[in-house]
Amino acid sequence: MNCRDIELIVIKLASNQLLEVTARARGLAHIEACARCAARLAEARALWAGMRAVVAEIAQEEAPARMEAMLLAAFRERAAAQAGPTMIQSPARTGRWPQWMIAAAVVIVVLVSVATIFWRRSSSPNRRPEAQAGIPKPSTTAIVQPAPAQVNTTITDKPALAQRQIARHPRRRRRHSTPGDLSETEVATGFFSLVDGDDLASLESGQVVRVELPGSALSAVGLPIDAALANKPVKADVVLGADGVARLIRFVRQVVASDQ
Amino acid sequence: MRNTTTPSDAELLRLMIAGDDQAFATLYRRHQGALYRFALLMSGSAAVAEDVTQEVFLLLIREAQRYDPARGTLSAYLYGAARHRVLRHLERERAHVPLIEEGENGEVVPIIPLLAQDDPFVDCMRQEMSKLVRQAVLALPPRYREVVVLCDFQDLSYAEAAVALGCAVGTISSRLCRGHALLLERLRAPDKLNAASPDAESLRCFV
Repeated sequence: MNCRDIELIVIKLASNQLLEVTARARGLAHIEACARCAARLAEARALWAGMRAVVAEIAQEEAPARMEAMLLAAFRERAAAQAGPTMIQSPARTGRWPQWMIAAAVVIVVLVSVATIFWRRSSSPNRRPEAQAGIPKPSTTAIVQPAPAQVNTTITDKPALAQRQIARHPRRRRRHSTPGDLSETEVATGFFSLVDGDDLASLESGQVVRVELPGSALSAVGLPIDAALANKPVKADVVLGADGVARLIRFVRQVVASDQ
Repeated sequence: MRNTTTPSDAELLRLMIAGDDQAFATLYRRHQGALYRFALLMSGSAAVAEDVTQEVFLLLIREAQRYDPARGTLSAYLYGAARHRVLRHLERERAHVPLIEEGENGEVVPIIPLLAQDDPFVDCMRQEMSKLVRQAVLALPPRYREVVVLCDFQDLSYAEAAVALGCAVGTISSRLCRGHALLLERLRAPDKLNAASPDAESLRCFV
């Protein structure tokens, strides 16, 4: 047996673990003759003694008593849940969107709309200036009367204030301005803030983008939802700040009224 | 007449799956100490040991059916689950928790020279020795540390450790041997590490 072989069995020798009788005898014989391996054995014995000291020191260590009670409660709760039908309904089964999903949907729709607008403007040979103007103060409901002959629609809820002129695409304008006995009137809610601290008064300028959202988006701003209309799209005007971030939103509904 | 024989883990597990909370409590009391100590020695942190123990038993509550008796004992299965969670903790906290003391230049601070050879206070020395060994164990790479903790501190057989760690018995044997060598290096003065022919008299020993 050489020094390398001793390395492999030195801990077993030190800890008096089971070892083949011949191997033990030959190992001990080598150690008697080799100072280096004798030193190794002494170190290994020291290490083993240290390990036993650690084992003795932590022998009484265990998880705190409160853990058993907590785990037992968890076990009983699970056993009870498995024994009978659960009364807890998963949020996913309620059919309502979480608010963060609605907010994310609003942001995505706004971004897509803005991108589309910019793309159309950049690709159009007759570029029109962006519609930027002062923004009206919030109101609970605004009546918007599309004027058939005009390109711009004026929000008429507060005529004394600086009025917002909204650029409209000609196709949409034609659809809204049906000539004849019937005309479309838009009924709008007040503006709701999408960013904490924002209101119309705090915005010096902005851009309004018309978007369509699922009806359930109404709940994101605390408006009641008609269950039958929850999955139908609703129109909304989103006010973008100068930095392009959606700041405010209002919901718009079109009603058909006879000409006076 | 009440049966006074100690029920096996398998029997308790069967009852537990059937909803017997006392069977679960018995299993918990039987295994929690060893799992806690394993996690404690692996992590060096009582908080981590507590978290790991709790997570392992919550796993048992949720997925007791996943235990396959054909693959090993319940104890080995629980050690395996605890080991997985300890390694996850270590991975998460590796950037924040120094496992070994290092000098200003990054060199390992020698452990053995901290002990005075002629220290008369044997009890104090034993406590210090215990502390040093624990530090040295924590300084081992996890793949060696887990084998040393299971086999040397928790007294698992090589076969049980192999099941817990999901490797071959031969791997356990070789890692244990390497782990011992690394431990001895840690506990030896650095200036003696590369000595060509160290004299037995000059080597420091802490017992």
